Amino acid sequence: MKVLVTAKRVVDPDVKVKLDGSGNLDLSNVEYKLNPFDEYGVEEAVKLKEAGKADEVIVVSVGTSDSQKEIRTALAMGADRGILVEVDEDEDLDPLTIAKLINGVVQREEPQLILLGKLAVDAENNQVGQMLGALTGFGQGTFAYRLDIEDGYAIVGREVDGGTADVKVALPAIVTADLRLNEPRYASLPGIMKAKKKPLDVLTPDDLDVEVDAQVRVVGYELPPERAAGVIVADVDELIEKLRNEAKVIG
Amino acid sequence: MRFAFTDDQLLFRDAVRDMLKKECPPGVVRAAWESDNGRSAKLWSQLAEMGVLGAAAPESMGGLEMAPLDTVLLFEEFGRAALPEPVLEHMGVAVPILTACPPSPARDAVLRDACTGAATLTVALSATPHVLYADSATHLIAERDGAIYLVAAGALGLTPQQSVDRSRRLFTVTFDIGEATVLAEGEDAAPILAAAFEHATLYSSAILTGLASTMIDMGVEYASTRKQFGKAIGTFQAVQHKLADAFLANQFARPVVYKGAYALTHDTDVHTSVSMAKAYASDAAIAASESVLQTHGAIGYTTECDLHLFMKRAWALARAFGNSKWHRNRIGHHVLDDGPADARL
Repeated sequence: MKVLVTAKRVVDPDVKVKLDGSGNLDLSNVEYKLNPFDEYGVEEAVKLKEAGKADEVIVVSVGTSDSQKEIRTALAMGADRGILVEVDEDEDLDPLTIAKLINGVVQREEPQLILLGKLAVDAENNQVGQMLGALTGFGQGTFAYRLDIEDGYAIVGREVDGGTADVKVALPAIVTADLRLNEPRYASLPGIMKAKKKPLDVLTPDDLDVEVDAQVRVVGYELPPERAAGVIVADVDELIEKLRNEAKVIG
Repeated sequence: MRFAFTDDQLLFRDAVRDMLKKECPPGVVRAAWESDNGRSAKLWSQLAEMGVLGAAAPESMGGLEMAPLDTVLLFEEFGRAALPEPVLEHMGVAVPILTACPPSPARDAVLRDACTGAATLTVALSATPHVLYADSATHLIAERDGAIYLVAAGALGLTPQQSVDRSRRLFTVTFDIGEATVLAEGEDAAPILAAAFEHATLYSSAILTGLASTMIDMGVEYASTRKQFGKAIGTFQAVQHKLADAFLANQFARPVVYKGAYALTHDTDVHTSVSMAKAYASDAAIAASESVLQTHGAIGYTTECDLHLFMKRAWALARAFGNSKWHRNRIGHHVLDDGPADARL
């Protein structure tokens, strides 16, 4: 079984991103990481290979040439080869465009299983996996906390409100990874050294016959208003009065 | 000429940084302070799984044959996290000593186990009176009368000593030479022991720069949030300048430490470069600890403040393997071609 897994480059979630004063993100001097949800996907793909259920794990990323670093991280974790769909830095990418580009790779590679993070922690769209399902026509199991491959099916445990649900999806299938799917391993030093020698192909949108034409564009960013300072009330009556007449949260 | 680390070296650093960020927050260091042996519960095996512990060992023994220039950034990360494990003794000193000693069944077996983490090594060099982590190490690599011995933990007599850093347990150690294995002696041992001192000194310097970085970050964070007279104290010049001076000192120390790693890797100008690294890094770490302690005010004097986890390690390491003054003296002797510096630290 061939597994395709995504590896998006995102701003380190531990970094507090600032605005530059003109409504744009100030991304100077920020660090980038492999999207944590994609990390769960990579770990699961590598585990499937170690268990003998997958023959090859291919990592794909859509982004600038800098995204090679995140692909190398996934290769260091144990993936076999990488594909970067390289786009210009000033190119707008919306979820549908990314899904189309990944679909282009799917058509070339014909994987039986496609693993994606349920969302990327930068934009938090949670759309690419589902859109890819529509583009490929493959069944999908989203928000996976458990994954088993049995007799041509992916058995996906999903966390739903109030409990869990298992879905059985015929392969080829799309699975999006949630938090509790696994505990991603750390890239080892030997893994990093080996990753350098693993193949990494660079494709362009033209190679995949996809036109980059984002339908959704971010037009600006704004910080939430600062919280006003609290006040100390003298007694319960004053508290009730303020909740009723100032905050208007009780009748 | 490229005056920068390679992509691989930076990736090694990032991998270790990511791991320690998740697995070794200050709470883990504090727990090590209170533990029986000053160490963490699971970090040793995680470091072994990542291939870190045997990084300097030959590939034939399960290592990665990494040079000081490849590993210096890892030690900086160990300092940044105040990692409570014997990485300096094991990975920075003992493994290079074993690697340099003539092959023998005893050496090879311990070196292989050192790479997998099955063996935990500590060292007793003549330059230091105490042995660290002797109660949890499986083997001691000891210098005695110019020879290098391998001693199993069971053959050691241990007397605990007081340590300023509670995650850095100290002991005086005795053993019977009859129960030890000679790894090298005489002319074979001398260059290995000389190199071991330089390794210990350089890696202490790298840990110190990492400790200083974290202390400065803590100071900046505190100064940005602690308010006095209605303003964050970081808006006052007196506070800003203290932190800026500490930052400058550490930024100047780091490339000197990297130069020390270059010198050790390429065996050029080793004594001066390593001593410069230790002098600059020790001064920078002490300056950072003083500035950040002052920035914190009274809370900084309580051991409940996480600053202590880093500050006390810095105090200990700044004096280990020669303090700033000793290393400046050593550089002076070298520059003036005035013979070797006094070997007593």
